[in-house]
Amino acid sequence: MPVERIKERYPSKVGEVVLGATAAEGGTRAHRVKVGGDSTLPFLHFEGEMPNRPVIAMEVQDVVPEWNPVFTAPIRDVMGDPAAWAQKCVEEFGADLVYLKLAGADPEKQDHSPDHCAGTLRKVLEAVKVPLIVTGCGVEDKDDAVMPVIAEAGAGENLLLGTATQDHYKTLTAACMVHKHNIIALSPIDINICKQLNILISEMNLALDRIVIDPSVGALGYGIEYTYSIMERIRLGALQGDRMLSMPVLCTVGYEVGRVKEASAGADEFPSWGELADRAVLWEAMTASCFLQAGGHIFVLRHPGSVRLLRRQIDGLMAGN
Amino acid sequence: MGRHTVVFQPDGVSVKVAEGTELGRAAAMAGIQLKSTCGGEGTCGLCAVKVLSGRFATREGRILPERRRKGMVLACRTWVQGDMEVEIPSTSRLAAHQVLVEEGARREIAFERELDPVGRYGFHPVGHKILAVLDPPTLTDNASDLSRLLTRFRREDGRAAPAIGLTALRRLPRALREGKWRVTVTLVDAGGTEEMVRVEPGDSRRPPYGLAVDIGTTSCVVHLVDLRSGLAVDRRGSFNRQARYGDDVITRIIHAAERPEGLSELNAAVLETINALVDELLAANALEAEDLIAAAVAGNTTMTHLFLSIPPDHIRLEPYLPAAVSFPVVRAGELGLKLNPDAPVYVFPAVASYVGGDIVSGVLLTDLAHAAPVTLFIDVGTNGEIVLGNRDWLVACACSAGPCFEGGGITCGMRATPGAIERVRVEPGGREVRLQTVGGMPPAGICGSGMIDALAALHEAGVIDRSGNFRDLDTPRLREGEEGPEFVLAAAHETGGERDIVLTAADLKNLIRAKGAIYAGIRSLLAAVELGVQAIERVYIAGGFGNYLDVRDAIRVGMLPDLELERYRFVGNSSVKGARLALVSRPAWAEAERIARRLTYLELSASSSYMEEFVSALFLPHTDLDQFPSVRDAELGVRPCPGR
Repeated sequence: MPVERIKERYPSKVGEVVLGATAAEGGTRAHRVKVGGDSTLPFLHFEGEMPNRPVIAMEVQDVVPEWNPVFTAPIRDVMGDPAAWAQKCVEEFGADLVYLKLAGADPEKQDHSPDHCAGTLRKVLEAVKVPLIVTGCGVEDKDDAVMPVIAEAGAGENLLLGTATQDHYKTLTAACMVHKHNIIALSPIDINICKQLNILISEMNLALDRIVIDPSVGALGYGIEYTYSIMERIRLGALQGDRMLSMPVLCTVGYEVGRVKEASAGADEFPSWGELADRAVLWEAMTASCFLQAGGHIFVLRHPGSVRLLRRQIDGLMAGN
Repeated sequence: MGRHTVVFQPDGVSVKVAEGTELGRAAAMAGIQLKSTCGGEGTCGLCAVKVLSGRFATREGRILPERRRKGMVLACRTWVQGDMEVEIPSTSRLAAHQVLVEEGARREIAFERELDPVGRYGFHPVGHKILAVLDPPTLTDNASDLSRLLTRFRREDGRAAPAIGLTALRRLPRALREGKWRVTVTLVDAGGTEEMVRVEPGDSRRPPYGLAVDIGTTSCVVHLVDLRSGLAVDRRGSFNRQARYGDDVITRIIHAAERPEGLSELNAAVLETINALVDELLAANALEAEDLIAAAVAGNTTMTHLFLSIPPDHIRLEPYLPAAVSFPVVRAGELGLKLNPDAPVYVFPAVASYVGGDIVSGVLLTDLAHAAPVTLFIDVGTNGEIVLGNRDWLVACACSAGPCFEGGGITCGMRATPGAIERVRVEPGGREVRLQTVGGMPPAGICGSGMIDALAALHEAGVIDRSGNFRDLDTPRLREGEEGPEFVLAAAHETGGERDIVLTAADLKNLIRAKGAIYAGIRSLLAAVELGVQAIERVYIAGGFGNYLDVRDAIRVGMLPDLELERYRFVGNSSVKGARLALVSRPAWAEAERIARRLTYLELSASSSYMEEFVSALFLPHTDLDQFPSVRDAELGVRPCPGR
């Protein structure tokens, strides 16, 4: 007896966001990157469309990062030179995107001026031809000064800029509107605040297809199931037609994994955990793998090893497409 | 240690106190109540006074800089060290509370007539008078005065003789002889047994009276009830004098639990409050304390505990247990209430720690427990209590809305007394503001209904976004204050007041949390019984706040469900009205206990979905706009906002 395959039909789909601009669109990128557009749950190719592959961005900073040696080893020769670092990520490690974090703008660190930051951006734009994600240092007042300058310096490049939060979204949204960029909307693992922030940003008239959700991820072993469940609900909301939840999702995996002891404590400290060099990479890869299946679209990683592992997994999961 | 005299101005009253007495306590001893919401911790800054002369010690507290510059100190942080003269500004005093007792809103009276609770339960008052005519004693018929009276009951009514209270007994010999063996006996139901509580010579035409009491966290209201007609003949209300120990129940529970004299201080404060109101009633109606032969008291669970001097400590601590939810019938004399000492005092049963006798009283008054339509009952007081149900089932919950709708925790918040801003219109862009105040007085602050109106108006005018954050606007009304950005509703130069009336960013967040808590409570109750918002056929709004509330505003900000305005009804102070009903209808009183046991209490802190409902309600009007279709359509310009 033939078995009928039961398919779920959803009334809507995840919105598509386009990052980067080629010369034809007024930018200098070699190609654009599209994310989102899914009309089903992750990788259920038999049921709906998944027109765009999930993509991997690699994190580059404008300072020598305070990462543990496992994560700095592959980039030791380029740390402190964001352009060379970005180039290595793209050409050697195969990153789809570069995620430039302007950590040096932090008044507690180098306190780079907005113009200095804009100079960094220009160098990175020249060094690589992939689309860029650029985020501030995380100090709200400083980011308010830096990001509008970054938006202006990157005008035409259709950047993805971060990071907007519920209590601090106006300056960045305005900058994205004026210079036609996209925005990262960060919420604290809370679907309601996620939706509220998207409404707030869209009420400033930034189009919905210019917003990317950062739901706040956690590392494996640190409440990862909370984010998983929130991402699942965001996806279901989008498929059910909730336009305020219909944006692609960005996962800052490298940052989260970099904070946990499982990815930074050596085997001398925890002999039963095995070698850190393998463990740290696997921890990042496993965390990313989990969010890949939860419905993530853009993964921000730090180690080329986990980039390789995640890409292999994406290849496999997309093979059925 | 010496004793010192403290003179308070402009009253000119003085009081002798021991060295080291806290100034706020000295003021209380002089009969002056100061504002306080922190319970004397020096953090609310409301009890600021000006020392004109004398020696004192003071510690730094949170006080407005302009007040500090004027040489003011916090009474709760200041101790007497010598004779002093102190000026207490009107802004630091607890004012008398007129609006509390006004039967006010016509809509409320009409609705009460429609409800007709006495008709529903039957008129069987708690006490009545009878004329007893006795045979005069002789040398051969020499039974005692009391036996003579009791014999009359056995002979004429053919029933068991009633008991007699000590006060009545003490009056008996003289009354019998003064009345030439004709006496008027007042009988009262003392919790199942009939008892004589008063004996008057001759045929007294004066009706017996009862006292209905609502003890609110913020204020107390009493009604004088004529037990012959069943009508409330007079009403009084004032602030609960416990306010000096903190604004909310939690602060008071802590005070009761952690200070050696805490419980007795709080008990004394509420008794003083009620006794002062009784004194006013007696004087105004030419009555004696003995004329008041019964009382019915409704209050939230904490207030009930404090009224009866029962330790409330565990109401505050997980798993949130009150000492009792049913209370014995006690005598006014043993409590220290200035009624007839033998008057029985009926205390309404509670449901749980945070759903008390005031709510049971409200449900008793309305037809909630006996009618078919699914009804939502909301009492927005210092806490928000919500009941949902009909004749078949009743569920209740309490959500911690906080005191902001009663003026607490809001920079310029106040109760709906004259001068309170109750209506706010804001022109797009926020440059122009039009205000309406209670009584048309110059604005002195903003009350709950004004806050809800302001929230809706500020959002509509584009001054705030849906989260309640200020937008970047070019208007002089939006400025950087001491606590961050603030919006000036009324500048001091416009009002002639001491300071500008503002809503700060923190005030707006508080308001959104309060309205969100109420809506989330409603949604949680609905979820518990698996009903949607549209299943609510009627909404009863209780509490003083409800008198001034514009339902359209409350829907626009997402505090009340988006239902047709016709489904909303205002019951006013249902707590005191339910207490009145208990006095004039014994069957109603019996029902109160049944209602309390029928109410299923939903503990929101144990509910997994409450937090989620709460966060989604922290938006104007709500994260899910589909729950507020009329607001959504109005914003899209499809049709005007409800009723506007």
